[in-house]
Amino acid sequence: MALTALGSVLSAEEGGEAVDPSKAGFVPPNSLEFAYPDIFGGDGWLTKPVLQIVLAVVVVFLFFFLSSRKRAMVPGKFQFAGEGVYGFIRNGVGRDVIGHGFEKFVPYLVTLFAFIYVNNVMGIFPGLNFPTMSRIGFPIVLALLTWGIYNYVGIRKFGVYGYFKNMMFPPGVPKPVYILLAPIEFVSTFLVRPVTLALRLFANMFAGHLLLLVFMLGGAYMLANESLLLNVLSPFAFVTAIALTFFEALIQLLQAYIFTLLTALYIAGAMAEEH
Amino acid sequence: MSQDADGEAGEGKREQARAESDAWNITGYLLGGPIAWGAIGWLLDRWLGTEVFLPVGLVMGLGLGLYIVWVRYGRS
Repeated sequence: MALTALGSVLSAEEGGEAVDPSKAGFVPPNSLEFAYPDIFGGDGWLTKPVLQIVLAVVVVFLFFFLSSRKRAMVPGKFQFAGEGVYGFIRNGVGRDVIGHGFEKFVPYLVTLFAFIYVNNVMGIFPGLNFPTMSRIGFPIVLALLTWGIYNYVGIRKFGVYGYFKNMMFPPGVPKPVYILLAPIEFVSTFLVRPVTLALRLFANMFAGHLLLLVFMLGGAYMLANESLLLNVLSPFAFVTAIALTFFEALIQLLQAYIFTLLTALYIAGAMAEEH
Repeated sequence: MSQDADGEAGEGKREQARAESDAWNITGYLLGGPIAWGAIGWLLDRWLGTEVFLPVGLVMGLGLGLYIVWVRYGRS
């Protein structure tokens, strides 16, 4: 079927005739590229993204488990790598952002960072070539986890009444204006934050994957096409695809870091005494 | 831990983190304002059968959001 970009490219390679004659030519990649069937066929839930999530769990666990087993005072390379990742998040994100009492959040922050990063990297990893966080269900769960944690921490410290009072009534505002500002504060802290957390990660991975698809499948289509002009121009598409792959690698690391950093900032904000 | 060298560098990073947090919080207020007061305006419209409170709420929410940003971040 020429419904997906891949379909149109494959049918071009078969001789330039689209299976559906009314849809000849290259079909640009769209959201159908993100819909995977159950591995046993049909509508089930055991899809490639689900398998990739499980794979990410295994990879993250094995990385930290194996790199911490020897506990040598002079670390070998693998232990050094594991300690490097752990220390980067523990110090740069946990200690510097949360400050006092940060230790109990370090396991969540380190795991969050590593898990998101491994899932993102699957977008450029040969063979997998799909960033699992581009399926919005997964970022939603992580955002809900973070949201649950920073609200729970704030409520446990200040009590329900105290926490919402801190949130909704900033200092330095004349009393009658409080009632006008309270809904905005509530919506901003309680609703906008988890939504933007999930949406930011999802949109970055979704858009990155689409970009790579456009240039790779477009280049393949140009190469397989009858027109000599397109054949000759196709390397430009492939070169761009390679450059975008490197760019995606940077974005993937950055988005994992930003998600983790914002989690720490929201936790710190929930525990802040400044009001 | 085999490395823990942060001292003053940590203070710089905390400043940077606070600045980044401020940027996102401000975004949150600018979004939350219209959303909150647009929602209140929309509910008022449904209750009273009018059409005017939704846009009024959106605009008012934006103004109030800007005011909150000024109160929390603009005054020194």
